[in-house]
Amino acid sequence: MEGLTIGSDSPGERFFMLGNEAIARGAIEAGVQVAAAYPGTPSTEILETLAGVAETLGIYVEWSINEKVAFEVALAASLCGVRAMASMKHVGVNVAHDPLMTAGYIGAKGGLVLLSADDPWAWSSQNEQDTRYIAEQAYIPVLEPSSVQEAKDMMADAFGLSEEFKHLFMVRSVTRIGHGRSDVALGEISKEMKKGSFEKDRSWLVYTPVVARKNRVLMLERFEKIKKAVNTFPYNQLKLVDGARQGIIACGLSYSYTLEAIKWLRVDGEISVLKIGTPHPLPEDLVKRLLNSVEEVLVVEELEPFVELHVRAIAGEANIPVRIHGKDLVPAVGELSAGKVTEAIARLTNSRSPVDFGELDKLEQEMASILPPRPPALCPGCPHRASQYAMKVAGRRVAKEYGKDMEPIYPGDIGCYTLSYLPPIESMDINICMGGGFGIANGLAHVVDVPIIAQIGDSTFFHSGLPAMINAVYNKANITMVILDNSATAMTGFQPHPGTGYTAVGEETESVRPENIARACGVRFVEVIDPFDLEKAIETFEKAIEYDGPSVVIARSPCAIIEQREKQVRGEKTVPYYIDQERCRVKCEACIQLLACPAIVKENGKVIINGSLCTGCEVCAMVCPHKAIIQE
Amino acid sequence: MKQIVKEVNILIVGVGGQGVISMSELLGQAVVDSGLNVRGSEVLGMAVRGGSVVSTIRIGSEVYGPLIPRGKGDIIVGMEPTEALRNIAYLSKSGIVILHTEAVIPFTVSLGQSEYPDSDKIVERLNGVANRVVALDAARIASEAGSPLVANIVLLGALFATGRVPIKAEAIRGAIRARFSVKLAPLNLKAFDLGYRQCRQAFK
Repeated sequence: MEGLTIGSDSPGERFFMLGNEAIARGAIEAGVQVAAAYPGTPSTEILETLAGVAETLGIYVEWSINEKVAFEVALAASLCGVRAMASMKHVGVNVAHDPLMTAGYIGAKGGLVLLSADDPWAWSSQNEQDTRYIAEQAYIPVLEPSSVQEAKDMMADAFGLSEEFKHLFMVRSVTRIGHGRSDVALGEISKEMKKGSFEKDRSWLVYTPVVARKNRVLMLERFEKIKKAVNTFPYNQLKLVDGARQGIIACGLSYSYTLEAIKWLRVDGEISVLKIGTPHPLPEDLVKRLLNSVEEVLVVEELEPFVELHVRAIAGEANIPVRIHGKDLVPAVGELSAGKVTEAIARLTNSRSPVDFGELDKLEQEMASILPPRPPALCPGCPHRASQYAMKVAGRRVAKEYGKDMEPIYPGDIGCYTLSYLPPIESMDINICMGGGFGIANGLAHVVDVPIIAQIGDSTFFHSGLPAMINAVYNKANITMVILDNSATAMTGFQPHPGTGYTAVGEETESVRPENIARACGVRFVEVIDPFDLEKAIETFEKAIEYDGPSVVIARSPCAIIEQREKQVRGEKTVPYYIDQERCRVKCEACIQLLACPAIVKENGKVIINGSLCTGCEVCAMVCPHKAIIQE
Repeated sequence: MKQIVKEVNILIVGVGGQGVISMSELLGQAVVDSGLNVRGSEVLGMAVRGGSVVSTIRIGSEVYGPLIPRGKGDIIVGMEPTEALRNIAYLSKSGIVILHTEAVIPFTVSLGQSEYPDSDKIVERLNGVANRVVALDAARIASEAGSPLVANIVLLGALFATGRVPIKAEAIRGAIRARFSVKLAPLNLKAFDLGYRQCRQAFK
């Protein structure tokens, strides 16, 4: 096993890996030459893994400014004949939606693969969107793996399929694939490297009405071929059991849960199972064979009844008298598990549950009632905590000056700082999508008379905050736009972005400064602050809020996690703060109630600072009215 | 050919930053090195900024999915008492809990929004479901090994002492040696051995 890495050309060896590493490995085996992405849980590690081997294997890897650009980068590479991929989380596919809708018309030359990482239960997302619908709308065939191993295998095959059918393919992962772990048998790495060349063909690539009409016909023809071919794809497998009255159609990861459930319920000898690896288009022949062989069928899939509706259509069209179950037995909300699928199949087959799930529900509810919730929180020393505090103090001061009912509205965005919506900070009132904070602020400005203080992170600003900033200038929206610049895409694991001065593979590059952009866009009030200089920060926020016209404040301080790591490398010691219990006699708890820093805790009636968590940021010492917080 | 192995489901739970994911990685690697099937999963991103962390490791010839069904867990390794209790519905009637007794107080308690239960109550509740609860102060044992930061490795040692993990302890020692630098490996190996010894006595 020694020396085996993600890029080793060691076919047959088994490697323990994260699903996202397996997806990257599949692309490596296929000889991918261009990979582009924007970070987003649960997809980020795919591009990170590729970036790690980019130099050795000669792959061009980039963090793109957003998913739309990432997809366009991959599409262009494919048109030049090289194998290319773009990876993104489900909601990132929305950002790439515009080019995607025409990409089906274009098809592909070099293998082109879009990886969408869906997030059932919205573990780290704003919704539970099912991307298969976008794929259907855009005529993109979908491969959906049932395991980490199959995710690797499908990625390795997808590029070849794309070239065979001259069409782009989507691989749909979910959280428990991408962030699943498994032993994976490695395949051979393709050594074929193509030199990209662009052949001009305007009747194919310049999307005017005439070109669109012509290529739409060709797209439908290509898709028809794929529809026939999927019946023999190895990812779709029909196991008919002689004399079975009931059948299960299980899509993607749900197939793994189904295998376990029917074994647990001891009904594996009584039920026919169709494994679906291509939810779009469905293998119609296989579906019909199953439907014709049973009286009742259950469709098991996560999120929406996508396969279920198509199965119903197939049954209706072919006049097959079969009873179809799906979301009546399988939850539409949240991710599935072998347990949930067991419950659904137990109901279908009238089998006795191996455990009393009702009792377990009760036990869980009881535990939830006695246990303290542990939501995620901003880290100790996080510069966002200081920024939020300063912003709120400034907002309150301005409101006081201008009279009642002037409480500011705080639109926000997506990143670590979203956690500021939680008590006690509560400095975010609305958050819907990447770049949405500034956009919502624009709208609010024209209908309400209170200060609007919108915040966005640095990476998110580059991703999609910029157009809304220009919109505010153009349409004279009187708003304050705060850019929380911690020099990283922190929430997803500190990926670089256009402001950081280095690329996905660690090369130095131009650092794009948000303050220069703001000034160039015509914002007249632009200030850069250090959020840990609290007094100055509050004063600057106040001026920005009072300014008549759009204003921009950039709160710049590196992410505390990165800062602590770098300190360690430099050999610098962190000197934590402690609470002088003599001076803390009043126990006002201002530090806790204003900041909720995880390093400040109450123990046996005393407020203390956990020295191993404290980064020495000093914010608590600045807000303590009794000067009881002192550095060691 | 792979060995045919009975299903073993292990839940490793704790708080972001306690080393839960490292434990899964080490355990999973050791299982693969031993030639067995392994599946697992955890949630990353938004959930881990100081929040609850749950990681699963599943071993066995007929294990397919990454998640453990409720009522089917064989062992819960709890890096924090309330986190172990939060996941108790996953444990089977014959299940074991290996518990690090040190509390990590969530900020919802400091804010006065919730209360942290009495530690005896927690163990009592765990005992109500589990076949056996082995509680140890892993941070103290880790300090004996050289650093409180390797409390997670102490618990990994305790996990092996239950005799329910179907691989040799030498495999995990190998995974520890492969993962840590020459400087840090001895510390981690010592933590593993101390945890193993402490728990072994409980199982004698």
